[in-house]
Amino acid sequence: MRTNRMLALGAVLLALTISACTPGGGSTSPSASASASAAKPTVTVGSAGFDESALVAEIYAQALEAHGYTVNRKLQLGERPVVQAALAANQVNLVPEYLGGLASSLGATISSDAQATFDAMQVKLAAKGLVALNYSPGTDADGFVVRQETATTLNLATMSDLAKVADQLVWGLAPGCPDNPVCGPGLKSTYGIDISKLQVESLPACSGQMAQSLNSSAIDVAQVCTTQPDIQTFNFVLLKDDKGLQPAQNIAPVARKDLLDAAPDDFEATLNAVSAKLTTAELTKLNVEVSVNQVSLADAAHQWLTDNGLI
Amino acid sequence: MSFLGEVAAWFGDPASWAGSNSIPLRAWEHVALSAASLAVAAAIALPVGLFIGHTNRGARIAIAIANIGRAVPSVGWLGIALPITLALFERGGLGFLPAFVALVALGIPPIVTNTYAGLREVDADLLEAGRGMGMRELQLLGRVEVPIAMPVIMAGVRSSAVTIVATATLAALVGGGTLGDFILQGLYVNDHPRIFGAAVLVALLALLTELAFGFLQRRSISPGLRSVTDSGPLPG
Repeated sequence: MRTNRMLALGAVLLALTISACTPGGGSTSPSASASASAAKPTVTVGSAGFDESALVAEIYAQALEAHGYTVNRKLQLGERPVVQAALAANQVNLVPEYLGGLASSLGATISSDAQATFDAMQVKLAAKGLVALNYSPGTDADGFVVRQETATTLNLATMSDLAKVADQLVWGLAPGCPDNPVCGPGLKSTYGIDISKLQVESLPACSGQMAQSLNSSAIDVAQVCTTQPDIQTFNFVLLKDDKGLQPAQNIAPVARKDLLDAAPDDFEATLNAVSAKLTTAELTKLNVEVSVNQVSLADAAHQWLTDNGLI
Repeated sequence: MSFLGEVAAWFGDPASWAGSNSIPLRAWEHVALSAASLAVAAAIALPVGLFIGHTNRGARIAIAIANIGRAVPSVGWLGIALPITLALFERGGLGFLPAFVALVALGIPPIVTNTYAGLREVDADLLEAGRGMGMRELQLLGRVEVPIAMPVIMAGVRSSAVTIVATATLAALVGGGTLGDFILQGLYVNDHPRIFGAAVLVALLALLTELAFGFLQRRSISPGLRSVTDSGPLPG
């Protein structure tokens, strides 16, 4: 996963700074002023501090604006603790979240079953006055990719296929993989892949180095994030997690309940329509636009919404 | 358990001391990479420094070039080196090689600049006296300039060594293992005691390097000069 928990402390400090800088509190909160002006409440969209999260938040924002909502943006707030603090303080009232990541931070049970993870998370969110709307089919989890030629030669499409030829290949695995339940131990219990018996190079997961190493044949299997731009850039084949090792990391809008209560029905419908189109491939494509082609978040979001007939 | 208790538990865990991810193995990777990088950096930087220091020719340009090693961040060197080593050696291009390139580049500048500065500081009268005694240029360099400049040259080597040891941590980013691997592991599995423990080990290694080269630096003062300093200035 791309979140760097070492930044959490800095993120918390940032949250404190943000709250300190916001005068008055309640009276300036978006939903409070919104319910006064009836019909369509003002939405303040927040996001975590990395591009994919900000991009999805921007997509939410533009989709809502197209439906007549006034939307403020507070993107790239930082790590999850900061974003959650901002939600709790009503400094933002809508954020994109990852099911597994948020659920586990709330102490809910997570699994590869997106619906079950979503349901468990929803219960915990309700206690905080938050509601998650429909999640995307796309998921940004850990995954494994191979080069196109390897997939063709060895006839690989799923992790189960990969398990059969695991010992013929050189694996690029994250340092610490043996200690991560969904990496080393999970590969063994779910797919019967014993990483201690494999040829392994230790490289940071989801990194450019990992992708370069795979592309230049230094390794044959690379541990990546499933929406990593390199997958598209190098035309890697993402192997299907057919036995469900990885926890679901689908993306869902998480809103404050008071915002949902104040908003008319098209609020939910608009966001649900967006989520329905966010597949893993579409998310990867969006990440390529932003981090490889250097398209601005706003332009990438606008283009995507137009292409998908959402605005 | 307290944080420091958890750090102690990591050090105390037998699993930390055996197998393919043990502290001794990672420390060995760290020391081997650092030593090789320092040796090659010195092999390149010393002759250059001696030449520009002795002749005072091309000093500006040589030092400017050497400083590229410092100007480009080490992570940048890794980024430059990795695609090249991968293209040339595939799997062999992972780990040691790109890290080695980055560390050699980082290690060269302090040695070049200190060697140059050390030689330029040698009293011109001494060189004049040497020439008067019929010494050739190489003899002058070996018997007069280098012995006098040795502590300054060694200070450059020491500074280079400490920087290399501290920075070798980055090798983990390109599959080079080292103690930096523990830091990446800790980040990946959210094990902060492991990160802290590894950082302590790197700091300890850098400190040992500093002490060892500091000792060498003091020992490198030519006996003739040492007696001068010990007994005060020569009687007029």
